[in-house]
Amino acid sequence: MSDLRRLPLVPLALVVVVFGAVPWVLTLFGKGYFFQVADLILIFVLLSASLHLVTGVAGLLHLGHAAFYGIGAYVAALMGTELKLGFLWGLPAGGLAAAVLALIVALPTMRLVSIYFAVATLAIGQMIHTVLLNWVAVTKGPNGVMLFSGIRLFDIPVKGPLAVYFVVAVVVALSIVAIHRLGHSYYGNALRSLREDDQCADAMGVDTVRLKIEVFTLSAFFAGLAGGLWAYTTGYVSPQDFNFSNSILILAMVVVGGLGSLPGAIVGAVLLILLPEVLRGFGDLRNVIVGLVMFGSILFLPKGLIGEVSALALVRRHFVRPKGEVAGREVGW
Amino acid sequence: MSALIEISNLTRRFGGLVAVDGVSTSVAPGELVGLIGPNGAGKTTLFNLISGFTRPTSGTVRFKGEPIDRLKPHAIAARGLARTFQNLRIFPNMSVFDNVSVGAVGAIGQSALQAVFGRGARRDEITARTFAALDRVGLTDRAGELAANLSYGKRKYLEIARALAMKPDLLILDEPAAGLDDSETAELARFIRELNREGLAIMLVEHDMNLVMSITTRVVVLSSGRKIADDAPAVVRADPAVLEAYLGVEA
Amino acid sequence: MSIDPYYLQQLAIGLSQGVIYALMAIGFTLIFGVLNVVNFAHGEIYTLGAFVGLLVIATFAPPLVVVLLLVAAVGALFGVGLERIAFKPFRRFSDEASLKSRAMRESTLMSSLAVSIVVREALEIGFGSQMQTMPFEAMINKPIALGPVTIVTGDVIIFAVAVVMLVALQWLLTRTRVGLAIRAVSANPLGAKYVGIDTDRTIVTTFAVGSMMGAAAGLLVGLYYGSIFPAMGFVPGIKAFVAMVMGGLSSIPGAVICALLLGLSEGLATTFVSSNWADMVAYGFLVVTLIFFPQGLFGAGRERV
Repeated sequence: MSDLRRLPLVPLALVVVVFGAVPWVLTLFGKGYFFQVADLILIFVLLSASLHLVTGVAGLLHLGHAAFYGIGAYVAALMGTELKLGFLWGLPAGGLAAAVLALIVALPTMRLVSIYFAVATLAIGQMIHTVLLNWVAVTKGPNGVMLFSGIRLFDIPVKGPLAVYFVVAVVVALSIVAIHRLGHSYYGNALRSLREDDQCADAMGVDTVRLKIEVFTLSAFFAGLAGGLWAYTTGYVSPQDFNFSNSILILAMVVVGGLGSLPGAIVGAVLLILLPEVLRGFGDLRNVIVGLVMFGSILFLPKGLIGEVSALALVRRHFVRPKGEVAGREVGW
Repeated sequence: MSALIEISNLTRRFGGLVAVDGVSTSVAPGELVGLIGPNGAGKTTLFNLISGFTRPTSGTVRFKGEPIDRLKPHAIAARGLARTFQNLRIFPNMSVFDNVSVGAVGAIGQSALQAVFGRGARRDEITARTFAALDRVGLTDRAGELAANLSYGKRKYLEIARALAMKPDLLILDEPAAGLDDSETAELARFIRELNREGLAIMLVEHDMNLVMSITTRVVVLSSGRKIADDAPAVVRADPAVLEAYLGVEA
Repeated sequence: MSIDPYYLQQLAIGLSQGVIYALMAIGFTLIFGVLNVVNFAHGEIYTLGAFVGLLVIATFAPPLVVVLLLVAAVGALFGVGLERIAFKPFRRFSDEASLKSRAMRESTLMSSLAVSIVVREALEIGFGSQMQTMPFEAMINKPIALGPVTIVTGDVIIFAVAVVMLVALQWLLTRTRVGLAIRAVSANPLGAKYVGIDTDRTIVTTFAVGSMMGAAAGLLVGLYYGSIFPAMGFVPGIKAFVAMVMGGLSSIPGAVICALLLGLSEGLATTFVSSNWADMVAYGFLVVTLIFFPQGLFGAGRERV
């Protein structure tokens, strides 16, 4: 018996919106600016979702995420300008570079707990930012790197805002699927147990330090991908896009959306990018809004817009296991 | 058959305090051993030493013939030694099912790549084990509920289910009956004995003397970090040294 | 044996930088000690101190002592406001041990971060993100020659203020009822509550005292360098944080010593690399301390479980 409940309605709706409705409406408006905002939202959705793995699922307060985003952007951009290796090389290379760097810094630091961990990530983020800003020979310092080549897929240039939008959307969508599976698996449960009580998880045979290193590295990989997308959509990377404020912006998205919930992280990203754009008429209020929304949500919505708990309630409704059935599909959660 | 776990001359000092002082004992496969002693006797420290949360100052612990006293807790757990905690440590913001699954994942393992791409036999085994453990403690019908919503008594069983999902060879229970009323304690005692009859070796720290004396096959008594008795419940109950140490003035 | 005067000069610069970090670190550590929370908005109190100072000087140019006292008073007010806005709302369960719970720590960490963003951005909207210059007459940079080394009046003033603050704080903490209450809450908030100490008032007082020092530090640094800007508090805030962590989290003398060490190391580092890279020293120190001395350079080790 195939029942309706098993149809993945939410993901289907998302696919329709992201690949159908949004580009259609934007084409009607026909302005490049709207596509830029849409690309920006998608990139931050990926950043927010990747931080969600570390901060929301594994419960590690990470205050330097933007730095790994920056590594991905710089690696992708510099591969394009210096090595003439295009999008299909630069994007994965950006992700891998961020992941490798994250692995290196994670090895000694992931033993740290609570506030010490947060401070260490802050310091690491600042160190990377300092390097991006001051290693002029490679990063061009405060001037940043211009990347004129644009996206090419196997020698076919991707021209026009609509096509670029689709490329970004595909990369982000695939990444979100991967992040969703990481979070909603037994692996994800082990990550959650770190958040809940890491000592207790240790007693269950979960190698907590190793798992922290892994999730930190994975998260940096996706942040690096987002960086590559940023480099190719804007054609320009500069250190100020990857500073502490951006780390906080991404953190705010995860917090506002609800720690531990992937839909929350996505909604948080859409909200915190869209809101300042909508309110642009009132001056550049982006960061004030970020601060206010973050503060308001911590105070009034401690579980966020779509907190893990309500996400769980969602699961419960779908969690129907007739007695006696072995290993149904949903139980893989 | 050699001992499942063999503790020899185990000592742990905290500064000037000797919390565990030269304790030697062992648990054979299928045994149900009680560990008792007055407050501050070093029972929980001994458990922490066995499960790797505290490093011994000297002495060794051998589990299934191999030394484990230098291993990290997760490595010890992976070898088949599960424990519960004194003050009930569940994962409150996870579902009952997810709580128990952590025990199974800890024992079987699932890598990030398997999580993203795999269906796989491991996944099914984790699922099966989780449901088996839930069935064993009778929490299957509440699998989707948030763990924090369970009653105190049910949480005790959740914690045990999580340990059972690891399919351990030795289960150590740190004061499982604390906070339970008489009928709940009796039910728990029956459950622990059942688990033991199915072949699981259990070590049990407990304040409730009746519980310990009624279900265990052997009782180890600690006082001020030293082992003062190690015998069948009936013998220990009559031991003057135990009476003096454990019951204090009443002796 | 003679030392190149250049290095002596760098040492002097580093020392004065260290004293500035120390001024920040004292307030930071004091506030951390009482609630075990990190106050991310401490840097913004420092910035606000500098901006209030600028406004005061620009409107009626009083003598330095008056400006300093005024700024300290306003800083105390900001501290009270900060506590009420970003910390008080998260102490809803003051009956439980949740006073120092992890949830409270993490939500106040983020709420103080949010407040700091709002303050900084509001200042940018009000004043622009560019440098504001302090009136030249008010600046404390008249040179004083000390043998081969030249220092400025500001070095002396900042050092003197730091010493006065440290002594006053020690007096406050050890000789007064308020100080006793602060130490009691810091050691055991629940216990303090049970013996009849008004924990809420004590916490506010601590924020007022700590913020007073932060604001004064901001003013002095503004007058020392002659220019202020809305984001000026971020870097000293991080440095104070580093000093606190290195000093063992709850030790004020430890934090002061580490702040001086930090300033000196940065001063020396700039003789070898460009000053843009000097920040790496602090971050490097922080990471190394965290990894090798997780309890701080002066803290005692302890075991979990």
